[in-house]
Amino acid sequence: MKNTIKVERAKKDLTQAELAEKIGVSRQAINAIESGKFVPSTVLALKMARLFETSVEIIFQLEDKD
Amino acid sequence: MKKQPVPSAATSGKPVLTAGIIWAITYIFSLLVLKELAPERITGVAFSLLPVGAFAYFLFRLTKGISQMDELEVRIHLEATAIAFSLSLMLLMLLGLLDLCVPLNKGDWGYRHLVPYFFLLYLLGMFLSRKKYL
Repeated sequence: MKNTIKVERAKKDLTQAELAEKIGVSRQAINAIESGKFVPSTVLALKMARLFETSVEIIFQLEDKD
Repeated sequence: MKKQPVPSAATSGKPVLTAGIIWAITYIFSLLVLKELAPERITGVAFSLLPVGAFAYFLFRLTKGISQMDELEVRIHLEATAIAFSLSLMLLMLLGLLDLCVPLNKGDWGYRHLVPYFFLLYLLGMFLSRKKYL
C-alpha cells in the first residue's frame, strides 16, 4: 500500500513529530506508516484524513500486489 | 481537532519496568531463601508463591502500559510475544526430546533455569520486531 502522507504533510507544513502529536501517536509510528512498513488502523487513517482535510482514499492507495 | 496526549514508550514503560524489577527481586529473593535456607515444606511453598503476587502486579502494570501504547508499539510487542512464545515452545520441545535420549542434568535444565531463557527469547523477539518496523 502506498501513501501520500509526506506530500500532505508538506502541504500543511508539518513535521513527522508535529503530525504524530496531533493525532496522538509516536513519531516512530508516523515514520513507519510513511515508509510503508506499517499499515495504520482505520481510526488512525481517518484521523489523518480529517487533519489533512482530505479523504482516506487520497492518502492511502492500494497497489497491484495488495 | 482535539489534541491528544502523545503516548511515549519511555513514560508508559517506567511503571512496567519498576513492576518487572520488583518481580525479579522477589523471585531472586525466594530462590535464594529456598536454596540457601532450605525452609520447611509449608514455609517453602509460601516463599515459592511469593513471586506470584509480584508477577500479578507486573501483569496489571503491563496491561495498563499496553493500553497507553500507540498501535505500532502494540504491534511490536505482539509480534515479540508471538516470536518468544514460538521459540519457548521449540526450546521446551527440544529439551523434552533430548531428555529421552541424553538424560539432562536437572541442576542445569530444571524449570527455574528456563525462566531467563524465556526472558531472553522475548528480548530477541523485541529486537526482531523493532528492526522490522523502526
